[in-house]
Amino acid sequence: MITEFLAMNGYGFYVWMSFSIVFIACAVVYLKTRKTLRKYESEFLVELQNLSAEEKNKALENSKVAQQILAANSKMN
Amino acid sequence: MFKFFSSSNIYSLIQKVINFINSIFFLILIIGLTFALVLSPPDYIQGDSVRIMYVHVPAAWLGLACFSFITILSILNFIFKIRNFYFINKSIAPIGLLFTCLAIITGSLWGQPTWGTWWAWDARLLSMFVLMLFYIFYILAFKLLNKEELIVKVSSIIAIIGSINLPIIKYSVEWWTTLHQPASIKILGSSSIHPAMLLPLFAMLLVFLLYAALIFLMKYKIEIIRIKKKNIKRI
Repeated sequence: MITEFLAMNGYGFYVWMSFSIVFIACAVVYLKTRKTLRKYESEFLVELQNLSAEEKNKALENSKVAQQILAANSKMN
Repeated sequence: MFKFFSSSNIYSLIQKVINFINSIFFLILIIGLTFALVLSPPDYIQGDSVRIMYVHVPAAWLGLACFSFITILSILNFIFKIRNFYFINKSIAPIGLLFTCLAIITGSLWGQPTWGTWWAWDARLLSMFVLMLFYIFYILAFKLLNKEELIVKVSSIIAIIGSINLPIIKYSVEWWTTLHQPASIKILGSSSIHPAMLLPLFAMLLVFLLYAALIFLMKYKIEIIRIKKKNIKRI
């Protein structure tokens, strides 16, 4: 029954190849985008750490984005 | 009202939407795949090869939809100079390219058992190939040019010229004799596709839409962080 399902009445190669290519391409794009996002988040945190204490506090006070990146990073750690 | 559209609020909203999509995505993917590969019936002529439709058609639709969206935002950006549209377009273009390439590849895999050839230089296939080229030119404009103003101008021109190709893709099967079948699903008028195949098609379309939204939001988030990083001392 499984062999029959995989064979798809002789069209198995075309059907499975289509679904596999779509799945692999989408997974690669997703992983690559996630990696870039993490890279930018950590670079932003490094920039934030390099600020003086006063500048850092001001940045955290004024920027919700900075607060959220910092919070997300401490959650991950 | 305008305060709501600040990058901080958008950023926190994006995270919520990403979390929501992540929570439902795999469930909808499993439902879509079960319908597409198991529950939907084989075609009376094409047999099980018709299942390729469930990835080919949503990919092609999204490829076209992304370019239409890019064109509209490019025109608006060109006129009103809304900077956000620039970042939205930059985030959408790679998704459109991905889906256009997938539509071409899966179309080729569907063409071999159905038409007996992997590729033919007919109107529909050629116009989709041209769309892929326009996506590549559009993305290259962002990669190769440095000044934002110049990028907006060049990319908008590429998008507007490329948009001429969109109706050609849509009506190519009616204007010329092609190997590709005419549209089975019509917004205006009755569709010639059986509900047993229409339901899996829409389930897979939902999967593709959620995936596209997820990638778009992640890319848009990257753009927000990039701007904030650049202006960190001014915050």
